[in-house]
Amino acid sequence: MDMLTSKIFLRKTKRGKVLKVVREHYLRDDLWCGSDLCKKCNQENSEVLDDAPISSSTLCACPHYVVVDTNVVLHQIDVLESPAWKNVIVLQTVLEETRKRSTNNFKKLKEIMATRKDSFYVFVNEHHKDTYVERKPGESANDRNDRAIRKACSWYQTHLEESQQGREKKKKVQIILLTQDFKNREQALKEGIPAYRVDEYVKSLKDFPDLQEKLAASHSDDNAENREPLFPEHWAPTRIMTGIKSGKLLQGIFHCSRENFLEGSVSVEGQDKSILLQGHASLNRAVDGDIVAVELLPEDKWTSPSGIVLEDQEDQDPGDQIEKEEALLTNSTKGKDLQPTGKIVGIIRRKWRQYCGILLPSVLAEGTRHLFVPAERKIPKIRIETRQAATLSSQKIIVAIDSWPRTSRYPLGHFVRALGNIGDKDTENEVLLLEHDVPHHSFPETVLACLPSMPWMISQEEVNCREDLRNLDICSVDPPGCTDIDDALHFRELSPNLYEIGVHIADVSHFVRPDTALDKEAANRGTTVYLVDRRIDMVPELLSSNLCSLRPDQERLAFSVIWEVTPNAEIKKTRFTKSVIRSRRAYTYAEAQCSIDDPLQQNELAKSLRGLNKLAKIMKKNRMEKGALQLSSPEIRFEVSTETNDPIDVISKPMLDTNSMVEEFMLLANISVAEHIFKHFPECAVLRRHPVPPESNFEPFLKAGKTQGFTLDVSSNKSLAASLDAAVKPDNVYMNTMLRILATRCMMQAVYFSSGTVAQVDFYHYGLAAPIYTHFTSPIRRYADLLVHRLLAVAISADVTYAELLDRKCVQQLCNNLNYRHKMSQYAQRSSVALHTHLFFRHRVQDEDAYVLSVRQNALQVLIPKYGLEGSIYLKEKDEDSKSAFIYNPDEPSQTCDNITIRTFDRIVVQVSLDSKYVQHQKIAVHLVQPQIAGLSVEPIKTVNVSEPTPKKLKSGN
Amino acid sequence: MAEILLSEAEKAFIHHGVQDDLRCDGRTRLDYRPIILETGLVSNASGSSRLRLANSDVLVGVKVELASPLSEKPLEGRLEFFVDCSANATPEFEGRGGEDLANEICRFLQMSYMSGDTINLAELSVLTGQQCWVLYVDILILECGGNLYDTVSLAVKSALYTTQIPSIKVATMDGDQPELELSEDPYDTKRLNTQNVPCLVTLMKIGNHYLVDPTPEEECCSSSGVVVAVSGTKKITAVRKIGSGSLHPESLVSMLKTASEVGTVVNKILMTKLLEEERAGKTQKVGFMR
Repeated sequence: MDMLTSKIFLRKTKRGKVLKVVREHYLRDDLWCGSDLCKKCNQENSEVLDDAPISSSTLCACPHYVVVDTNVVLHQIDVLESPAWKNVIVLQTVLEETRKRSTNNFKKLKEIMATRKDSFYVFVNEHHKDTYVERKPGESANDRNDRAIRKACSWYQTHLEESQQGREKKKKVQIILLTQDFKNREQALKEGIPAYRVDEYVKSLKDFPDLQEKLAASHSDDNAENREPLFPEHWAPTRIMTGIKSGKLLQGIFHCSRENFLEGSVSVEGQDKSILLQGHASLNRAVDGDIVAVELLPEDKWTSPSGIVLEDQEDQDPGDQIEKEEALLTNSTKGKDLQPTGKIVGIIRRKWRQYCGILLPSVLAEGTRHLFVPAERKIPKIRIETRQAATLSSQKIIVAIDSWPRTSRYPLGHFVRALGNIGDKDTENEVLLLEHDVPHHSFPETVLACLPSMPWMISQEEVNCREDLRNLDICSVDPPGCTDIDDALHFRELSPNLYEIGVHIADVSHFVRPDTALDKEAANRGTTVYLVDRRIDMVPELLSSNLCSLRPDQERLAFSVIWEVTPNAEIKKTRFTKSVIRSRRAYTYAEAQCSIDDPLQQNELAKSLRGLNKLAKIMKKNRMEKGALQLSSPEIRFEVSTETNDPIDVISKPMLDTNSMVEEFMLLANISVAEHIFKHFPECAVLRRHPVPPESNFEPFLKAGKTQGFTLDVSSNKSLAASLDAAVKPDNVYMNTMLRILATRCMMQAVYFSSGTVAQVDFYHYGLAAPIYTHFTSPIRRYADLLVHRLLAVAISADVTYAELLDRKCVQQLCNNLNYRHKMSQYAQRSSVALHTHLFFRHRVQDEDAYVLSVRQNALQVLIPKYGLEGSIYLKEKDEDSKSAFIYNPDEPSQTCDNITIRTFDRIVVQVSLDSKYVQHQKIAVHLVQPQIAGLSVEPIKTVNVSEPTPKKLKSGN
Repeated sequence: MAEILLSEAEKAFIHHGVQDDLRCDGRTRLDYRPIILETGLVSNASGSSRLRLANSDVLVGVKVELASPLSEKPLEGRLEFFVDCSANATPEFEGRGGEDLANEICRFLQMSYMSGDTINLAELSVLTGQQCWVLYVDILILECGGNLYDTVSLAVKSALYTTQIPSIKVATMDGDQPELELSEDPYDTKRLNTQNVPCLVTLMKIGNHYLVDPTPEEECCSSSGVVVAVSGTKKITAVRKIGSGSLHPESLVSMLKTASEVGTVVNKILMTKLLEEERAGKTQKVGFMR
């Protein structure tokens, strides 16, 4: 017999190529049988298989060894755990087949074998020269394995026979095969191998009568490999295109629901209501952001969004199976609030990118197929193949999706790179920057080469062509710790009935010239991103924190807007000029407030602040009357420990008069500039608009108002502002804020645009109630302002123009990028806050006041104002039959248990902690404290620091 | 091709031998030298053969791959030939030395397989207009002992004969992308019908006579000749003149006629030998170890 054979098989690669793989397969003649009675094998004493095995089986009275078939391991693994099993031979064929079919069972079998080494013997039959079988033409892999098992059995029989020729027949050890497969058993019996069903064998074990209870319901041997497609197919592109043209299909962007992974919606352009999608088949492998083609279902199948909050199973790998979803979805409230419902029939364009996340701990660490859990909740888990799971499991990694075949429960992807250890602040920061596509590499040489050389002085020629305002008492008011000061103010009385006020903005356009590397970099970055502990600059620090920043007592170039106004805040004259200024002082909001309030301070700066404040109040009142909205979103600040950089306390950002004073003048400057540049450049002015939200957006808001007994009028921004002001409840002060938070969520996103691309009626800024608006006042941190500066400079003949500036298409393209970057930077900032909230709660458990944002079928969404944190309280635990049966009233909506009813906006007390059950995937957990409900609420704890670890090495930084 | 230095006397000797229908090695003009053939040598390839004709030695591997069909022939798969002249054969092949010869052989093979009668390329289609099999025929010339064309063609035919094409079926359509499912059984393959695949017959003209299967010395003596591709059905699918000399139309016609007869016989013998080998089943591979 040749000791070298080769295994040949065909394999399809990921790319669809067919490979012929040839593996050399070496056979050996030194693999022992593992039996004590054997005299042929050259093995040591004390083997696994006994010399004279004893079994209590009545079925097979003679001494015997047991060989188990693969299907026994697959279907009756629990039975195998019993100590009843002795002298079991596990063939390598069986091990490998099990491993391929079910990693869970494979792992269990390994465990059983490890703990009961004296009873289970692994025989490497695939490499034994006498038991290796080659696949025959026309034979399935399964049949071949069955044959290999039978071959091993008969080999054992003849092999043992030779060693026990002297024994009497009844004492001779036999080999019996246990199998669930009818065909295999038949065949074995034909070949003279005693074979039994596992259930009949187990039942015959008279010493272990309990064991048969463990028997799994007998499966008729199903070829478990389920390669049936799990999803409906996608239509061919041509069919989709004709469908869209004929109106049968709709095209739109797919958004996955944050709360229920089996639900999503498609927003179709020009349609008020988005289309609802429910269930795996309807979602049909769409990933959040994809452009998809949707077919509407007939109207009698329309439903409304289910009220339940559903997360894809956290901690296990279900394999390629789709869980039963009826139960998850049927609860959706039928009958009312029907929404157009549809199903996805094709993907027009994938918007896959690279995703950050972590690996799901796998049952089989040395396996190569793993599930990846993206940080973004809306993205499904991704199946990847990697051999380094052990090292990656503690790291944040980046993964890209490759495909999503019909037969796969999850999209298939591949590992791109590792970012660093989970929980590391640097890693997490990196994750959120990448996740939000924030360009954060350090500035390249070409960009730095565009910077002026230091030491830098304003040249005399520069002063000559600018207005010299160094004599004015100019000051700036900013948040504490601000180093990029881009605005400053002044105020003086020209006559008792005429004041002069000025807004001076850093002249960034002087440094960032068009068409330089610096300009391109800034245009790409679009905006400065403020994270809790880090700032990602739009322009290099030399400009942002020094040369452009309007530092006190330093001469700086500025772009000034100067008004002459009456004491009633009526504007008489507006002019724009490039200037040189010297700020007298950089106030913080609090300091400025002190100066205004302190009557003892009578210096020029304090006086001008008072004048400004007075005018600002009038201007604000006028603006409110026009219908400007005062909205609210919770904003917090972290106190950060100087040593460890970890957050140690949270404070809400206070709102002072001076905040709104500065804001008021910035608005005024922006509006004045917007009017001016639009007059000069009707085709290519960079403006900002805030579209009027469609009525349907307000639905959740109106519903919430109703529960509190308020009728809210959302017909215009003015009526909305009025009804918001009226909706006050003395016993629930925070209610109004909550309403405003909800109103904010109904709003559209404000966007930059080029004036030539939109009709003039649509320039309207809904939130500010201004017919025209732009951004002018923060050129250090926003590129749009820089464009506006350039336009304005051309308009007042202070600078020259260039081609791209006057091309409305180019401008619109720039605006699109700015809108995208702006949105992403906001998300990144929010994520940064969330990250720090995580860090903050790492060693804390706290009871906090919270308010119910919305009541869902199985959960309460709550807002904790102190941390601006939102969380869900699940009312029923997933598996257990809840003792605290809440009754959901979808009309109100409310949840009632016993005599306690929880409605929207109710104040409750919750306990906030960090759920570290999965070290890999920590999340903030919120538990109900008050009102107390047995089985759900937890014991109150008053600000206890649990297990605050003694800071081991503070030196390590963070 | 490898040039051999021959003296005038030697050339005259060969000339006279051909005239008398008795060549230096004892053959008549239409005799071939002994051929050794073995198939299935390269286990990684889908089909392979090694053919040795006296001192000419050729190894051919066929690899099948999925690709999209040419837009002008959406219903057909295709064959791609590639010849590599190993520098083992002659030092002249070193570097890019063998390239001209390789291209020549390649082109002629392609040409002789172009005729629809030789091989049914529609058999290679998997999914009309989208997927088809491409057979990459890689020919490695290990030794040059004259009559390369014939040697290569016989080896290619044998390799194609043994080529196993995995059976594949279109399981599902997803969008426009077909989802192909590979048969799980490695023996579940199909074979091409190679009955009519052409053999090349080289006829060299020496003096007033022509002969088959010239040795390098004989090639040296001849100024012209033809290579004729003869399919299993006696059809001539391609003809190519070699050498710098000229041929009289009359002798050309008679050469073609002879070639087609010789080709048919060679074809027949090759097929019976291949069948014989297949019937013998799995035997110990000999390879280069003898």
